[in-house]
Amino acid sequence: MAVCNECKRFFAQDEQPEKGDCVRRGEDPRQAFYTARPVTAEQDASSCPDFQKK
Amino acid sequence: MYEAAKTIEELEEKQQWWWAAEKKRSKRLDYLRKAIWKKGAVGGLYNPGVKVELERPQLQTQKARELEMSPDPWVMKFAHMFAHVLDNKTIFITDHSQLVGYNADLPNTIGWDPSIASILNEEVFNDPSSLPEPIEESQKIIADIKNYWAGKSDLDKIMPYLDLDDMMKVLSGAVGWGVPLARGGYSGKDYEYIMTGKRGFEEVIAELDKNIDEADAKVHEPAASQEIMELYDKMNNWEAMQICLEACIRHAKRYARLARIIAENFETDEKRKQELLQIAEVCERVPAQPPRTLQESLQYDLFIQLFSRTEAIEGAWPARPDYYHGPYYQKDVVEDKRLTHEEAVELAGEFLIRAAEVEQYKPKFAREGLQGISGTWVWTLGGVNKDGSDACNGMTIALLQAARLVRVANPTFAFRWHPKVSDEVMKECFECIRQGLGYPSMRNDPILIANAMNWHGHPIDEARTWVHQACMSPAPTTKHGFQPMRMANATVNCAKIIEYVFSSGFDNVFNIQIGAETPPVEDLTDFEKVYEAWETQMKTLFSLLVRPVNRARSLAPTMTPRPFLSGISERSVESGKDVCDPSVSRGNSWITAFTWVENADSLAAVKKLVFDEKKYTLAELKEAMDANWEGKEDMRLDFVKNTPKWGNDDDYVDDIMLRCLRSAAKFSREIKDPMGNNWPILPENVSGNIHYANVVGALPNGRRLGDALYDGGISPGPGLDKKGPTAVLKSCGKIDHISDGRAFLLNQRLSPTQLAGEKGFQMWKAYMRAWADLGIDHVQFNMVDDTTLRAAQKDPEDYQEVIVRVAGYSAHFVDISRKTQDNIIQRTIQGL
Repeated sequence: MAVCNECKRFFAQDEQPEKGDCVRRGEDPRQAFYTARPVTAEQDASSCPDFQKK
Repeated sequence: MYEAAKTIEELEEKQQWWWAAEKKRSKRLDYLRKAIWKKGAVGGLYNPGVKVELERPQLQTQKARELEMSPDPWVMKFAHMFAHVLDNKTIFITDHSQLVGYNADLPNTIGWDPSIASILNEEVFNDPSSLPEPIEESQKIIADIKNYWAGKSDLDKIMPYLDLDDMMKVLSGAVGWGVPLARGGYSGKDYEYIMTGKRGFEEVIAELDKNIDEADAKVHEPAASQEIMELYDKMNNWEAMQICLEACIRHAKRYARLARIIAENFETDEKRKQELLQIAEVCERVPAQPPRTLQESLQYDLFIQLFSRTEAIEGAWPARPDYYHGPYYQKDVVEDKRLTHEEAVELAGEFLIRAAEVEQYKPKFAREGLQGISGTWVWTLGGVNKDGSDACNGMTIALLQAARLVRVANPTFAFRWHPKVSDEVMKECFECIRQGLGYPSMRNDPILIANAMNWHGHPIDEARTWVHQACMSPAPTTKHGFQPMRMANATVNCAKIIEYVFSSGFDNVFNIQIGAETPPVEDLTDFEKVYEAWETQMKTLFSLLVRPVNRARSLAPTMTPRPFLSGISERSVESGKDVCDPSVSRGNSWITAFTWVENADSLAAVKKLVFDEKKYTLAELKEAMDANWEGKEDMRLDFVKNTPKWGNDDDYVDDIMLRCLRSAAKFSREIKDPMGNNWPILPENVSGNIHYANVVGALPNGRRLGDALYDGGISPGPGLDKKGPTAVLKSCGKIDHISDGRAFLLNQRLSPTQLAGEKGFQMWKAYMRAWADLGIDHVQFNMVDDTTLRAAQKDPEDYQEVIVRVAGYSAHFVDISRKTQDNIIQRTIQGL
C-alpha cells in the first residue's frame, strides 16, 4: 500500500517526521499557486490521484 | 474604443483610468490584480467559478462531534474547533505574492461557517451554482453538516431566548435587515492594544498564563467569596483565548514552512526564492511577536482580520491602515531606506488586493443589499493623533496612490478631513475621486470626534482614534470604546414609518401588523396629529429592531463567545470576560436608518397639499396609495412635482426634516443598549433603496410600490435637487451633525470634465471648504459621466472595471442591478 511518506509531494516536519505537508502546484483560470495540506507520513495514498513515488 | 489611445497620457485624457492603471502598475501588481476572483454577489448570486469551500465546515463539524461528550464549557469547545480549523485547513501561496493568508482553502472559494445559523446552511444547500462539482456529492456533504448544526447554531440557540413576536416581525424582512448575532455583523477591534500597542500574541499568551496562575492560586485559598466563583468562568475564558492565539501562531508558521518548501524545492528564480524566504521570515515573526517592518506590519494586520473571519462572519473591516502602518513606512522608507516609496506602494496595493479577495458565504438579504461586494470594507485614512496633531503620513499617500493602481471596488477608503490636512494629501484624495473610484468618502473629523463624545461619552483621546465600524459609523479602537460586534439587526427600513401612518401599522405588502395601531389616517384632523402618528410609528419600529440586539448582546458572552477577539482585546485579557460582555464595554450602538428622507418629503407633501392647500383629503390620499396611485396619475404627479423636496434649501421641507431627526434623536436617548448607552440614528442605505423597492408600498411623495427608493442618508431624491450643489449643502448644513444623529450620508455627483486639472482641484477644494464650514459630517462623490455609464449598460463587457459609489460603498458598475445603475444615473450631476 502506498503511503504519503513515499510521495514526492510529502514534506516531513523536522521536529515530528511522522507528520508533514502534502505540497502541490495548483492553477486556476486566474492564478497559479502552491498549496499545503497536513497529512501523516503513514497515511494511505493508494487512491491519491496525484501520488508520485519518490 | 481602447485601441486608439496608446499612451498613459492619452488614456488618462480619455478618462480610461483602468487601462492607464494597467500600464502604470508593476508586473507583480498587475498579475495579482488580475488574479482576483470577483466574489461579491451579483443579483444575489455568486459569479461563475466562485465556489463555497467544504473543507472548513467539515473540519469544524468533525471537531464538534469529537467534543460532544467533552465536559468542557462551550467557550473551550469553540476554541478547540477554531484551532482545529487553523491547524488543518489547506493553505496556499499565490505566485508573485508577498503577503499571504486567506479565509478559505483555494483562491476561488468563499468561506462558510456552518455554526452561525441553520437558515444560512439551508441557503448553501439550495445554492447549486455555488457548489463544487459534482453537485450531488457536495450536497451529500452539506446535508450531513447542516443536519449536525440544526438546533446547535448560534441563531438556533438564541432564538428561544428572544421575543418571538418581535422576531417574527424582524424576520419578515419588511422593516429590518440582519439578525442579532455576535458572530455575524461588524466587528471592531482593540487596535490600540494589539497594533499601535506593538504587542505580539506571545506577549498576550504570557499575560493570560499569569492571569490563570494567579486565579488558580486564588481559588485554592481557604475562602469561598463571590470573586472566587467568578474566577472559574474567567479561567475558562482565558484558557480559550490562549488556545486560539496559540493556534494563530501555528497557522502563520505553516505559511512560513510552505514558503521555505517552495523556495528550497521548487522555485528556480533567485529573486522569487529570496521573496519566499522573506515571507517565511515574516510569518515566523508575526503574529507571534510584534512587527518590525512594513511587510510584517501589513501581514500582521491581514492575519488578524483573517483569524477574526475564522471566528465570525464579518460584514465590515474597521481599520485605519495609514495610522497603524505609517510608523513602519517611516522607518523602512524614510529612515532605514530599505524600501523605496514605490515598493511601499506596491505592498500597499497587494494589501488592498488581499482584502478584496476575502468573502464569506452570506444570507441572501445581505448578498442583495451589498450588490457587487463582499462587505463594507471601508478603511479609514487621515484624521488626527490622540494629541490632536495631523495623523497623515507617508502611508496615507502610499495607500491612496496604490488604490489608483489596483482599482479595487472593495476595500474603499474614507478620509478623516480636518483643517491641518496638507494640500499634498488632499490632492491625492481628489485624484482618487476624479479618477472615478468613488472614494475616499470625506468625513469631517472635528465634527465626528465631537459627535462621538456627545452620543457615547467617549473621552477625547479615545474619540480621536475612530475608524468606520461599517460604511459610516465612527467607533474608537480603544480598550472600552471599541464595539466588538455591531449587529446589523438594528437597521430600520424607515420608509415604513410614513407608510404605516397610512395603514395604522398594518403592513399591506406582508399582510401582518408590524407597526403601532395608530388611529385611522382619515381621522387625523391636522398635521400635528399626522406627525404624532409618525412619531409613534418611528418609536415602535426603532424599539422593535433594537430589542433583539440588546437581548442577543446580553446573551453573547455565554452563548456565542468570541475567544479569539477576546484574546486581542485588552479588556478581556485583563478581566477574563468575553469581549461582548456589556460590563467591560462603554457602548457605541447606532440604528442604521435606511430610506429616511422619504419621510421628510412625504410629510411635507401631506402638509402642503392636504392641510395648507386643502387640495386633497387624507382619505383620498390613502385611497390613492392603497391603489398604488393607479388611475390617479395626475394626483401622483402633483405630489411629486408641486411639493417641496429636501435638498433645495427650502425651509418648508427642511424644517420637517429637522423635526423628524430631532424627534428620533430625543428617542435615541430614551432607548438604551445593555451598556446603558444611547442608540443614535445614522441615515444611510447601502443598496437598501433597491432591496426594499418591492417591499415599501406607495408613499405620499408620489413614489409607487416597486420604484427605487432614494439613494439614502440625507441625499436628496435622485433628480429632485434642482437648485444646485450649494442648496444641497445648505439644506444638509441645517442639520446639527453633532447632536441630531450619529452620522449622515450624502451622495453627490460631479462632472469629471469640469474638474480636470489644477483648476478642477481648486474648485473641489472650494466646495470642500463650504462643506466643512457648514459642519456637514460626510460627503462622497461619483465622478463618472452619464455617457460612460450608459455605454457600460449597453456594452458591459467593455466596461468591466468602471467603479461607482453606490451608497456607503463602491462597486463595479456592471455588478450592480439595472435598477441601481439607473438610480445612480438619475442622480443630479452638480456643476460647481
